[in-house]
Amino acid sequence: MRQEWEQVLAEIEKVIAGKRAVIEKILMALLAEGHVLMDDVPGVGKTTLAVAISRAIGLEYRRVQFTPDVLPSDLVGFSLYDKDSGDFLFRPGVVSQVNLLLGDEINRASSKTQSALLEAMEEKQVSVDGNTYPLQKPFLVIATENSVGAAGTQLLPFAQMDRFLVRLSLGYPDYEAQMALLRARQGSQPMDQVQTVLSKDRLCQMQREAQQVTAKEEILDYITRLTLASHDQEELELGISPRGALFLDRAAKAKAYLAGRDYVTGTDVREVFLDVCTHRVLLTEQARREGKSVEGVLRELLKKVETPDHHGLTGWKKR
Amino acid sequence: MRRRGIGYGLWVLLALGLYFFENNAGSRVVLICTLLAPLLPFLRRALFRPAEGRRKPRKAWTQEVILESQARFQEEEEPGEIRAYMPGDPVNRIHWKLSAKREELLIRENGREAAWEEARAEHSVLEETSASFRKRNGWSGACAIVAGLALLLLFLIPEAWRGTQALLNRLFEVSEGVNTYVYTRFPMAEEQSVGLATLLLSLAGAASLGAIVLSKRKAPALGAAAACVAFQVYFGLAFPAWIQVPLFALFALWMVLPEWNPRQAGRILAVIGLVSLAVWLLYPGVDGVTEAASEQARDWLSQRAEQFVNPVSESGSGENETRHARTMALQPGDQEAREDQAYRLETVEEEQISLPHWVNYLRIILLLLLAMALVILPFVPFLWMNARRARALAARGVFTSENISEAICAIFQHVVAWLEATGHGAASNLPYVHWADALSPELPAGYARQFEACAQLFEEAAYSDHPMTEEQRRQALALLEKTEGWLLARADWKQKLQLKYGKCLYA
Repeated sequence: MRQEWEQVLAEIEKVIAGKRAVIEKILMALLAEGHVLMDDVPGVGKTTLAVAISRAIGLEYRRVQFTPDVLPSDLVGFSLYDKDSGDFLFRPGVVSQVNLLLGDEINRASSKTQSALLEAMEEKQVSVDGNTYPLQKPFLVIATENSVGAAGTQLLPFAQMDRFLVRLSLGYPDYEAQMALLRARQGSQPMDQVQTVLSKDRLCQMQREAQQVTAKEEILDYITRLTLASHDQEELELGISPRGALFLDRAAKAKAYLAGRDYVTGTDVREVFLDVCTHRVLLTEQARREGKSVEGVLRELLKKVETPDHHGLTGWKKR
Repeated sequence: MRRRGIGYGLWVLLALGLYFFENNAGSRVVLICTLLAPLLPFLRRALFRPAEGRRKPRKAWTQEVILESQARFQEEEEPGEIRAYMPGDPVNRIHWKLSAKREELLIRENGREAAWEEARAEHSVLEETSASFRKRNGWSGACAIVAGLALLLLFLIPEAWRGTQALLNRLFEVSEGVNTYVYTRFPMAEEQSVGLATLLLSLAGAASLGAIVLSKRKAPALGAAAACVAFQVYFGLAFPAWIQVPLFALFALWMVLPEWNPRQAGRILAVIGLVSLAVWLLYPGVDGVTEAASEQARDWLSQRAEQFVNPVSESGSGENETRHARTMALQPGDQEAREDQAYRLETVEEEQISLPHWVNYLRIILLLLLAMALVILPFVPFLWMNARRARALAARGVFTSENISEAICAIFQHVVAWLEATGHGAASNLPYVHWADALSPELPAGYARQFEACAQLFEEAAYSDHPMTEEQRRQALALLEKTEGWLLARADWKQKLQLKYGKCLYA
């Protein structure tokens, strides 16, 4: 299982060098059946990455460039009157046809389009004219949000941001990676070398297996304590939602599964905590004025809340 | 809120009682202060501006604030201030309609944010006034115990008890000067030494004050106030108003203050000082009418009490009548007053001879308890060590348990406890697998790697459902042996005692 993932990683790394950590996180989100929000500047290889992932796993891939005039029906499909049969025919939209959807610059879409997409993401199905159509499995959305040039855009509402499992950012490559990138592009197109090493069905099976990873009471207790501590944290206006806690659990399971374990440890939770939670919490005005960052506050939280190793379920050291 | 309500109710009762028994200026002021006490939060809000951002608003409140500010925003037609556009202003703030009308670019200041800020500011004031009950402070408890012991000694040592009575007599003298009322003295020689009593009393007082000051809870203040009232009621004397008022004001402020800090303390003391000065200026003495009413009430009550205890005896009423009449006619420095006092001293002496034995029984019981404690005390260390030893052995029983996962957890926790107790641990809230890099560098070479391997074993044992193998248990035991051997070889006697019997045992 671990070898299979190593192969996938190796295939993807043929086109994107030096971003192993981010790629692993995306694969983790894929395993956890969650969606990814990329907060990035243009041109760092989001599309390349998505294409590489879809090729390595053999997923159907489509990309939607969002603009204010992309309509919900473009995404979820629409019914068309068929003159011959005298009936309405359903024309599936883009989300019904893909496993991996790259929604570029989701913040440029109108809010009704955004919510149509987010609904599809959450329910894994679309409803048109009262009929419900399930989406293909697996279904992963990688949405991007450009942090620069955000004028005239619809920022994702806080409640909708909550639906993404993780928020990541690729960032610029370092010197080595940049050199490797340029060198690789000299001869052939590296994308052509990416081979499919994992089937869709195998991925679905893995998704199921990942959810069966054991998370003991101590771990659930840790997640709950983290969540509650975020509610009591002074600097946070809004803490981690119950959905956030659920996602934390799911992400930690996927993380453990990726590491080849069948149990979740406190370390898993800690490692996914920042990626899963930074976009879910809101700093208070005062904390923002003091120049604190969400990440810093969450790190503090991690430092403060006892890990399950130390705490156990009932605080075993204190007995 | 509920608890504070009960406290306040009790206090009102006490104040009413005091007023009923001692209808003088002091008790009146106490009653007024008590009845005005619910206003104190407002006073406090006015006096002490809330420290900003000390506490975060609760969730429910936040929701309310959001709703409120939204409502306000919707209500307001005025979308905030309008001003001329300056380069650098966000374009989406431009008020296009007005700009078109006036033919210059206008910017609207964000009205919503202002409303939000306003709502928040208001909210934080409300939040501040809801006081928080803090956990008991350890030092406060210690002070309370010291105060209790000092008071116990005061009662147990006859010398000290007599000294206290002498002190009380002196207090009566002072009180008489203020109240024009004659108190029942304790019978004793005037030359009774008061040194010990003063020492114990001041110790008890200082310790109680310490308990109150150090405590973050309201109970000590309430208790002190109650004790103060009870003391006055029991001995039938009232402090002069200028003592009474600051005292109770202190208690009152204490009860409404959420927490202690020196700067606020300074302001509180200043306010109390001003209040007592004002009281001292306004209430120099006591008028005869209230004094008479008070005396009448006391007589009526004692008469009822006497009839209740001894319904046959009728002699009490006549005596009480005359006492009342005498007091009515009493003038400061009156000869009759001296006679009355002498008469009372006699009767009190008679009463004391036939005074109940329960005080003596109480003393005997206390002495017996003390003796028992003294007998048991020398054996306590041995008992403690035996118990610890037994616990240690029982704890080690887990290491060979059938359930290997449990055993590995126990072994690893034990290792960590020993490392922490000797200061070799990483002492941070990191999962144990990350401890390997942060362990003390004094530990032998290769130890960190072995520790890390075992930490992974521990995680597997603790968080997985599948069974562990004997081999893994042996691996953990090897680490335990290495750790114990290495640590015990380097520990001094104190650490050895701690390691073998101390808190760091896995239990």
